[in-house]
Amino acid sequence: MAEEQKSEKREKRRTATKAAAMIGPMVKEFIGATHRAKQEGKKLAYTFICCFYEEIIRAMDIVPVWTENFAGICGAKRDAERFLARAESLDFSRSLCTYALCGIGFDQWREELGEMPPDPPWGGQPRPDFMLSSGQILCDPRNKWYQAVQQFMPAVPIYHLDMPWPLYEDDIEVSEVEDYYIKYIVSELRGLIKFLERQTQRKMDYDRLSELVDLSERTWNLIWETYELRRAVPTPMGTGDAMNTMVPLVFMMATQEGYHFFVELNEELKEKIARKEGVIEDEKYRLIWGGGLPSWFALKDFNYFNSKGAVFPVETTYRLIEPMYRLNIPETNDPLERLAYRWFRYWTYWYDKAKKRPGSEPDVERLIQYIEDYKIDGMVMHEAFSCRTWHLGLIWQLNQLKKIYKPIPVLVLGPNGKKREEKRELPSLILESDIVDISSYSEVDTRNQIDAFIETLESVKKQGV
Amino acid sequence: MTDYFAGIDIGSTMTKVAIMKEGMISSVIGPTGAEQRRLAHRVMERGLEEANLSFSSITYLVATGYGRLNVPFADKQVTEISCHAKGVAFLFPEVKTVIDIGGQDSKAINIEGGRPVDFVMNDKCAAGSGRFLEIIADRLGITLEEMAELSLKSNHPIKIGNLCTVFAEQEVVGKLAEGAPLTDLIAGIHEALASRVATMAKKLKLADDVVITGGGAKNRGLVKALSDALGHRLLVPSEPLLTGAVGAALLGRDIAQKARRNGRPLERKERSLRKVEVF
Repeated sequence: MAEEQKSEKREKRRTATKAAAMIGPMVKEFIGATHRAKQEGKKLAYTFICCFYEEIIRAMDIVPVWTENFAGICGAKRDAERFLARAESLDFSRSLCTYALCGIGFDQWREELGEMPPDPPWGGQPRPDFMLSSGQILCDPRNKWYQAVQQFMPAVPIYHLDMPWPLYEDDIEVSEVEDYYIKYIVSELRGLIKFLERQTQRKMDYDRLSELVDLSERTWNLIWETYELRRAVPTPMGTGDAMNTMVPLVFMMATQEGYHFFVELNEELKEKIARKEGVIEDEKYRLIWGGGLPSWFALKDFNYFNSKGAVFPVETTYRLIEPMYRLNIPETNDPLERLAYRWFRYWTYWYDKAKKRPGSEPDVERLIQYIEDYKIDGMVMHEAFSCRTWHLGLIWQLNQLKKIYKPIPVLVLGPNGKKREEKRELPSLILESDIVDISSYSEVDTRNQIDAFIETLESVKKQGV
Repeated sequence: MTDYFAGIDIGSTMTKVAIMKEGMISSVIGPTGAEQRRLAHRVMERGLEEANLSFSSITYLVATGYGRLNVPFADKQVTEISCHAKGVAFLFPEVKTVIDIGGQDSKAINIEGGRPVDFVMNDKCAAGSGRFLEIIADRLGITLEEMAELSLKSNHPIKIGNLCTVFAEQEVVGKLAEGAPLTDLIAGIHEALASRVATMAKKLKLADDVVITGGGAKNRGLVKALSDALGHRLLVPSEPLLTGAVGAALLGRDIAQKARRNGRPLERKERSLRKVEVF
């Protein structure tokens, strides 16, 4: 089955921007670079996205191997099934994170053969020198994945960081506990540096680290400014493209190449806006991708939305940045403190807003802000069955949003036969599938739901005031 | 020239045709299957025969349902969500919510002015669709009609604990072997399906009266169980399988009337009443 899917010639997905179209070759190149680095004797580290210690890795010339990225590539190439099946045969449940399962299946196969599995996607994932795991509150794979693969390569050490933030409670003031968290996170980062110094036999260059923290902060500002350009009507770039441009955002942070990518994207979007060139010619519905990782094997569904007149000017997924002015990081010369503050204040940024609206919570506030800023007509979420961390609570968020926020004025027929104005909640669609496991996906059913959703949006628009 | 409008709803289990002028002048329900789906045009031919009309006399034809795509004899394809909304609003103008329990999926739709304004759908799990009842009826060796009547005789429905059709089927067999009365067992099965559909439907803001359509609406035992699970009165159309086809025909009528109102020619596809070739 997997082989059949591999050999099947599929029509290429269309992107709206040239920048997004460059991503495929770019990812291929940085995976190729990991193989070259291995041959050159550089140190390779397995690591996870949005870890907030990219700057430390880069400052020590360690080459990151992004294991979630490789699993996503296998999914996008529709070549994950053989690795998932292999992990399942090793008694890992299919309902675990399919990124982890794909990586575990691949690594076990590579270690068993002593070389890459046959025909590995984009050359495969090289063996690391060490693995850096960091939990993200509920994400158990970020704690357990590397422990699982360590049984196939026991000599490869793991360093585990604990990077917490306080969960939201409407009667707790996070500023009161911030100092404790900052001290704790800084000590975790110092521990990481000690581990890396032992592994590389080199000392950390703190001046270089500071420069890279500067670079990341400038990159955050630039990404925010660039993505905000998508507010334009028609929008010059949609979520389909953002699922490409997330690559430099999460895999190339603290690099000049990553920064330069967003300089170019920024220029391209400004040019498109000046020409009034949108993702599609006739933009009828502006949607928000309100949560959930995408089905990497079905990104063409974004093109399908486009074919129905719908665009996604904004998404919450992978928009893992805020402009630095919002985070208001205190003056400090310690780059580790700056990393810790950025981490803490990023994850707690929406807490204060949520407190001001009864029944709200931080993720709901973020949705409301985007709905208003980007003139949104409807929301789409994706529930990926195998990822609990990013998907737990999505439906609850949607329900809360509908309870507390009704932005659409419509005319309805009252009991006296006269039309009256009412406010209605945003129409929504919840897609169900997975990030990597294609067996969870039905194109016919998904597109049937998209068709029905578009008809619903049309109905609501017709009733609009 | 008199205008006639037709709707064809090609579901996973049944194909339904409605032909309308002011009201309905003919309707036909035929089976759908791998082969029958390709032969949906035969159901349309029967509908035309019953109405004593030629195919060319149909002003506009809308196809809906799971098999609506690639129907070579339709002017337009519209999803069953919009068609059910339109059909139910025609039959029950005051009603704001419809729940459709089909052979392969179930859905709940909120309606305003004959149009859908919100919907939820389960097309992933057989345990929330008519397929669940078909599988259990098959295992018990009784018809769906018998199932409906038997369940109404139960005073103590047996709780079915498994959420999955495959495991529920095993559980039913196990409970039968333990000597559970068939009536209580079937009532428990209806409650299990009703509970799943109610959980889905409650994601919407439900209006007081709810219309139930699809094959599930023909099962009085299920309707009772769903009414209890929702705490709402359920209204059942005289022919609950036809609302989608009726809605499709009415949407065709709206399209034609709008074109005339605006002085524009009615855009129609080049259509031919022949076998469906691609699905």
